[in-house]
Amino acid sequence: MTSNKSNSQYEVLSPWAEVDPIPLRGISPRVTNLAGKKIGLFRNFKRAARPILTVVETKLKERFPTTEFSWFDSTGNNVLETETENKEKFTAWAKGIDAAVVAVGD
Amino acid sequence: MYNAVAIEDFGKPMVVLTNQGFATDARSAASSKGMRGIRVIPETVPCESNVQEQIETGVSAVMDEIITALTKPLTAEEKSPKPMKAEKSSGIIFKGSLEEVNRFFYQRGWTDGLPIIPPTEEAVAEMLTGTDLPADQVVTKVIPRMGKATVEKIAINAVMAGALPTYMPVLIAASQAVMDRKTRFDVFEVSTGSWAPFFAINGPVRNDIRINCSSGVLSPGDIANATIGRAMGLIIKNIGGARKAVEDMGVLGNPGKYTLVVGEYEEESPWEPLHVERGFKKEDSTLTVFFPNTFFQSIPGMTDANGILRALVNLRGGGMACYLLIPSHAKILSREGWTKRKAKEFISENTPAPPLSSAPPPGGQRTPPQPAPPRMKPDPDSMIIVVAGGPGAFMAVLTSAGGRGMGAFGNDFVTKKIELPKNWGKLVAKYKNIAPTYVRY
Repeated sequence: MTSNKSNSQYEVLSPWAEVDPIPLRGISPRVTNLAGKKIGLFRNFKRAARPILTVVETKLKERFPTTEFSWFDSTGNNVLETETENKEKFTAWAKGIDAAVVAVGD
Repeated sequence: MYNAVAIEDFGKPMVVLTNQGFATDARSAASSKGMRGIRVIPETVPCESNVQEQIETGVSAVMDEIITALTKPLTAEEKSPKPMKAEKSSGIIFKGSLEEVNRFFYQRGWTDGLPIIPPTEEAVAEMLTGTDLPADQVVTKVIPRMGKATVEKIAINAVMAGALPTYMPVLIAASQAVMDRKTRFDVFEVSTGSWAPFFAINGPVRNDIRINCSSGVLSPGDIANATIGRAMGLIIKNIGGARKAVEDMGVLGNPGKYTLVVGEYEEESPWEPLHVERGFKKEDSTLTVFFPNTFFQSIPGMTDANGILRALVNLRGGGMACYLLIPSHAKILSREGWTKRKAKEFISENTPAPPLSSAPPPGGQRTPPQPAPPRMKPDPDSMIIVVAGGPGAFMAVLTSAGGRGMGAFGNDFVTKKIELPKNWGKLVAKYKNIAPTYVRY
C-alpha cells in the first residue's frame, strides 16, 4: 500500500455500529471519613484479589483502628452477583456496608 | 467491573483497584453499564501475583489514593454526568483513493492490520443481496459496547474482509451465535486468555460456498474460511467495540483471531455430522462456535484404533475441546465399532486429572495457597469431534476453558442454523466458481 496508487476514488461507509444511548448515572456520595465505618472488600475469582485486599484491610486498620471490614468472595468467573444464586447474599452484604474496595486481581 | 457498578447502584461509594494496564478496560466496562464516573485506581501489583512482597509494595503505594477515592466529594460531572449523545454512523464518511481509505480506516482502529476492501455503497449493496433481511434490521447487539448489529453493518464489515455475498447468511448466524449467553462470549472476547472464535460449518452450505473441509483446513488460501473468520473479527471489533489492548485484554493475543473456520468433511466421515449430533437435520446448514486459545497437533504412535484413541487422549483436551480428526482415522475407528460418542467417553475416562498444585517458587514468600480446583474428568459433552483435514496422519485439538463438566464458566458449544435467502440457488451459481486454480510446475 505504499506505491501502487490508483486514481480511483472510493466513497465509503462506516463499519462502526451505533448504540442506543445508555442513561448515565452518577456515582454514590462519598463518606466523609473512614473511621468507624464498615468497609466492604469485594474480591473476584483471580488469585491476587484476596491477598491484595488483605493488605488493604491491614493498612486501613492501621490508620483507622475503629473501622470494620466485611468480605464478599465472588465465586464465579466474571459473573454479576445479582444474576446468580448469591443475589440475596450480595444484596445484604452491599446494603450492610458504608463503602467498598473492589480488587479484580489483574 | 459489573459488580463494582452494582455496589454503586446500592448507593455505596466504591473504588476499584486494578493493575495499571487494565484501567482503561475497567472504565470502558463501567461506562457500558452507564456509570462512566466510576473511580478506578491503577496499581502496580503484577497481574495474578502471589508474591507477598510485590503485593505489599503495590498496594502500599496507593493507600492514600484509596482513602481519597472513598472520601473526596464528588465533582459535578461525577454526581450528574452529561447525557450521552446519540451516535450516528450512517452515510458516506470518507472519500479517497484505495490507499487513503485504508489509512483512514486503520487510523481509526477499524481494521485488523491487513488492507481492507473499501465498503462503498455499491459493494455493500451487492453484499446485501446475500440475505432477504432488511438492511436496517438489528439481528443482535454485540457486547461489550452493545453495538447494534444491523444487517447493513454486518455487510460493511463483510465487504472490508473481502467476503462474498453468499457468506452473509453465515455471518448473520455467527453474529447471533456468539451472542448466545451459553458461549460466555462476555468472558472470552475480552479475556487475558486470548480466546478466538472457532466456527465449524456443517450441512449443504459448506459446498455451496466452498468452505474447505480437507487439506489445510485451517491454513490460509480459501476465501470462505479466510474471510468469514476475518469478517467476524471485524464485527466483534467494530460492532461490539472490543479493541485490542483497550477492551480485548488478551495478554499474548492469538493468530486465530484472524480466522478459525472449518467445515466438517461430511462426505468422507463415517459418522453422523456434528449438527445432526446436536439435533439438527442433515439437510440443515449450521455453524457451531466456541472460543479456544490453543491449537495442538500430534501423530498417533500406532494407526490402529487403540493408537488413534491413545493419541487423542494425549492431546490433553480438558475443559472444552474440539478434536479435529482426519477422515482416515475416523474410518479406522468406525470400522472397529467406535462412534463419536464412544470416542469422547474414552477420552474422558483416560485423560489424567491435572495436578493439584504447582511447586512452590524457588524464592520469595508466597501468599497462602488458594483452594485447589476439584479433580474432575473432562466431560464428554464438553467435547466435539469434527472430521476434517486431508491425507496424512496428524490430528489436532483446540481447547478452551470451562465447559459443562468443569462448572466454572457454565459455557457450552452453541450451534445455530444458517438461514438461506429465497434466491439461494441463483446466488450460489453467481459466486461458486470463484476458486483458485493452481498451475503445475
